[in-house]
Amino acid sequence: MRPNNIRQIGIVTRYELLKYLRGRRLLAIVLLTVIVSAIFLVVPPAIGSHYSKDPTEFVTNMLRFLSVLSILSATFFGADAIVSEFESKTGYFLFPNPIRKTTIFLGKFIASALVSVGAIALYYLIAVVSVQVIDGSVPANTGLSFAYSLVYLLAILAVAYLFSAVMRSSVYSLILTFFTFFLILPIVSSVSELAKFKPWFSITFASGIATDILKNPYPTDTMIATTAGRGPGVPTPGALISGAQYYPAVTVSLVVMAAYFIVAFLLAIVLARRREM
Amino acid sequence: MNKMEDPIVIEHLSKNYGGQVALNDLTLTVTSGLCVGYLGPNGAGKTTTIKILTDLLRATSGNAYLNGIDVIRHPEAALEGVGAVVETPEFYPQLTPKECLSYVGKIRGMSSDAIARRSHAVLEQLKLLEVTDKRTGQFSKGMKQRLAIAQALLHDPSILILDEPTSGLDPRGMVEVRGIIKELKKTDITILMSSHLLTEVQEVCDKVAIIDRGILLKYDSLENLSAGQEITLTVHTLEPVTPPEFKVIKALKSVTSVKRTENNKLIMSLSGGAKEQSKVLRGILNSGVNVVSYTPQHAAIEDVYLHLVSEGDY
Repeated sequence: MRPNNIRQIGIVTRYELLKYLRGRRLLAIVLLTVIVSAIFLVVPPAIGSHYSKDPTEFVTNMLRFLSVLSILSATFFGADAIVSEFESKTGYFLFPNPIRKTTIFLGKFIASALVSVGAIALYYLIAVVSVQVIDGSVPANTGLSFAYSLVYLLAILAVAYLFSAVMRSSVYSLILTFFTFFLILPIVSSVSELAKFKPWFSITFASGIATDILKNPYPTDTMIATTAGRGPGVPTPGALISGAQYYPAVTVSLVVMAAYFIVAFLLAIVLARRREM
Repeated sequence: MNKMEDPIVIEHLSKNYGGQVALNDLTLTVTSGLCVGYLGPNGAGKTTTIKILTDLLRATSGNAYLNGIDVIRHPEAALEGVGAVVETPEFYPQLTPKECLSYVGKIRGMSSDAIARRSHAVLEQLKLLEVTDKRTGQFSKGMKQRLAIAQALLHDPSILILDEPTSGLDPRGMVEVRGIIKELKKTDITILMSSHLLTEVQEVCDKVAIIDRGILLKYDSLENLSAGQEITLTVHTLEPVTPPEFKVIKALKSVTSVKRTENNKLIMSLSGGAKEQSKVLRGILNSGVNVVSYTPQHAAIEDVYLHLVSEGDY
């Protein structure tokens, strides 16, 4: 008698984790995290500079790689999670068994989330230990920062799973996932800002709350005025140029990320279930 | 949910891909304990049928039942008693055969003891014991095919669905797998097996279903299919056949034609199945001819298959 769906989810999760532990991607993410952290710690004294004495500034600097790490995790552990079963034909082994496709999807997603969260947690751990040793204290909202980063991570992982459920090729799914979050959405946000429209709808813009929450007070939107320079290529030398510096609002950003997660997750499940081998 | 007694019941099953018909109103029942060969040319609909039975494809219309359970509406329940090998499955390269079997065993609710016991048994049966702890990423195609059969047998299924089970195997491997299927036939298991190899089907199966362009052309026992078919045989004799002996052979019942091709070789056509072949052989021996070998040029089933599939007269 087959076990219930919850137990089967646990079985799938366990074997997905085993695959990750034996694969190269997890090793690559962990190494990258350690190396980037090491660079932040080693380079300043090496060039005769000092670490920031402000713990908030120190941690904010150390967490500059957070967005890239999240995107890489979603790409490595989510972008081909579904499509690979079809492309590499491992689905012929797994699917003709008394287990729902939804169960397989959930088991895989939980495993992807666990390893991704693990990578982010390692990054925060290194930052927290470093700031404690160097500056003697940890910024007050570090826990919140970690929590917000996980919300962002889960949201983009869900989108990665959606791409994986739709695409026919692992390579294209990986590329689409990476460039959507690394390039396309940031460009959309920049264009929106240039048009003086706050890109609250963009998940990559919303992800900024993970580091902005560390700042005290929380940064607010500002208008910037500057004078255009003089020189070749400047269309209106000396003219006054205004722009905006936008910061994501916490509540709105959390809602946006939750919305991305819910819509992408549910759509991914539906599409993955309907997919045929 | 529970509908019928026969292990495999397919009713008016159809599958369309856009405008292309892969299966057209297929109706087929496999009764308990039988081994049915599923024959057809490439693109006939064999794998499509098997994929619908194993919840890898959705049917456009129709029904399919495994052990009385609707596989289209309740695939998880229907697949509980089913072991399947579909195409040549790949395995996760990071996992060993032991881990792959453990994975599906746990999904199926087998206890750890049962998984360990049955894993050892099926890996031994499929000659994979030596590589139990080797990662499947290093496996050849033949080893993966063996592992695929092993995972299908792990839970002692009551129904076995095999999609070209000897594909990718060397001749020894093919013989071994056929031997395993013959051994399984001695139990209650019901087998549906697609194959391109007519001799394999003839050797192993009780009944044959021939399909082409999504339509079931013929479904009958091998004996019935062979009956009435002309078989061509090559007879090698020790000495050249004398004219009187030739006349006697030509007059034997069921012999439709005899040709002398070389001194010690006759090509004869006869109508009927194994009984008729046996009678003709006895008749040749009684005429005083010393027979070295008496070999069908091709299986009777091949004649049926070629006649049905080439003509397309349905």
